[in-house]
Amino acid sequence: MSVEIEISPIFSRYTNNILNMKVESKTIRECLNDLVRQFPNLKKLLLDKDSNLMHAYDIYLNGENLYPRDMTKPVKDGDKLNVIFIIHGG
Amino acid sequence: MLTAKELERYDRQIMIYGFGKEGQEKLKKARVFIAGAGGLGSPVTIYLAAAGIGTIRIADHDRVELSNLNRQVLHWEENLGGRKVDSAAAKLGKFNTGIKVETIADTITEANISQLVADSDLIVDAMDNLPTRYLLNRAAIKKGIPFFHGAVYGFEGRAMTVIPGKSACLNCLYHGATVPKEKFPVIGVTPAVIGCIQATEVIKYLVGLGELLTNRLLNYDALRMKFTEFKINRDPNCEHCSNTSNRVSKQ
Repeated sequence: MSVEIEISPIFSRYTNNILNMKVESKTIRECLNDLVRQFPNLKKLLLDKDSNLMHAYDIYLNGENLYPRDMTKPVKDGDKLNVIFIIHGG
Repeated sequence: MLTAKELERYDRQIMIYGFGKEGQEKLKKARVFIAGAGGLGSPVTIYLAAAGIGTIRIADHDRVELSNLNRQVLHWEENLGGRKVDSAAAKLGKFNTGIKVETIADTITEANISQLVADSDLIVDAMDNLPTRYLLNRAAIKKGIPFFHGAVYGFEGRAMTVIPGKSACLNCLYHGATVPKEKFPVIGVTPAVIGCIQATEVIKYLVGLGELLTNRLLNYDALRMKFTEFKINRDPNCEHCSNTSNRVSKQ
């Protein structure tokens, strides 16, 4: 399945300024694994040792908050994932 | 009742369809609690003062530092070392002598938050850390008053409006997640945009106009000059808002 991922600009230094990318995957976890395969510098930032998204980030599937954070949730062709950093500055 | 001076001062907004003198009177009667007089708190308070909000209550325990001045436009070089709430009150008091500005220089804690918010009609979240934001969210839910969230980082910002009992709250959004409090990058124009969005939401809520930013997280990406909305669902098991049996709604 071809899925689009859009990541926050704060990651741009780790992805050569690429913020929209395509991954080939069947589940959310596979999407993230393919993302960090393409951009290895993101791996330590985004994923813990079990390949789960770290708590400092949120994930949205087709614009909707993915909660509970089910990493096995299937994705389909044309889906879009947004990975955003939880910001708290004021 | 609006005075002749107020009718003249607010003439252009009273002209807005649906706003009218009634809307202006609602703003005059309103009491708003603003947590934070920094990057977000500056534009929020300035524009709420400009709009004629009757009572603005600002809480911030910090003092003005040189590194604040790239974004915290309420504070000037002459205020360095002084309390932010004093600096804010001095500017707002000169800007609009027809409103009341109350200041609180205490740290917001679980123990004092209810007393600090007191009988305010709403809470504006202009803080710089998640733990206090969660405290404010809980306090708003407990009091049954709206909560206007905003946050910034670099050229990015986010905003969401919470109507207790009706829409997703901050904890439905972040589920108790925390990130370490640390020095964060930011340029002044980012909180200017997000703070103005928060102030807009406050005005809309008080006057009763338009559609609020509820169940939606607005994401502002200034580098790509792009706004994105994410749908946020209420969490039926939310530790903050799922049990509403003890809540007393003002609305």
